[in-house]
Amino acid sequence: MKVSRLIGTAVLGFLFFGFVAIDLVLFGVLALNSVMVTVLPFIGLLLCAVLGVLASRPRTRPLA
Amino acid sequence: MRPTRWIFVGLLFGLLVVGSSGPAAAQLGGECTASGVWQNKGLTVDAATIGNDLVTVPRKDTVDWTGSVGSAPGTYRGSVWLELPPPFGKVEIDSWHGTGTNTANSGSKTYSLPKFVPAGVEFTVSGEHIDSNGVCSGSVRVQVEGGPFDSPVTYAALVLTIATGGPLAALLLGMAKAAIAAGFGGAS
Repeated sequence: MKVSRLIGTAVLGFLFFGFVAIDLVLFGVLALNSVMVTVLPFIGLLLCAVLGVLASRPRTRPLA
Repeated sequence: MRPTRWIFVGLLFGLLVVGSSGPAAAQLGGECTASGVWQNKGLTVDAATIGNDLVTVPRKDTVDWTGSVGSAPGTYRGSVWLELPPPFGKVEIDSWHGTGTNTANSGSKTYSLPKFVPAGVEFTVSGEHIDSNGVCSGSVRVQVEGGPFDSPVTYAALVLTIATGGPLAALLLGMAKAAIAAGFGGAS
């Protein structure tokens, strides 16, 4: 996996989880001043970065 | 001192600013009182007794408010603000300062919140009044009456969620397919 794609995935994860956090606030699940509003985007960033790293590991097909 | 500028008057003004009907809760510390009556809704909020209840306020109404401190304040200052998630801190709604001897004030405030202020969202409005008697501070949890789809902000947020979630799902699916095709986890 290219580094640019990895970064792109992490940034998308950050944005997606950020908007999910905003949705949760708007639907009354989280309070506006909840720390989760801050934490969720970084969880998304880390999660997607980890997934990207896992996917970018060198692979070999298992021998039959 | 202009009595209308007491901290809990400010707090109630904050209520007016961030919402008009919804659950709200207040915690009050110090020798002071504050209360408000929403004329159309018939809602009464006394900051000293409402405790942790959430207050729901209407989007527009007129509030009759009162506020007082224990004794002549002398030189005073204070502010009321909206709490944001950390590390964003707060947004100041109003502030006041001066010198005076009045211990109480009251008035009416008509407000109308714009559509972009989302309904059903829990806001925490905090305030502080400092004078020669000490510090009076408190916070109120409020929400605007209505549902999430009353505000265009909700639609925008949902569109942006889909706009980022779609490409992210496509990327992750691509990765998963590649991982499966190569033997999950690879590198052995």
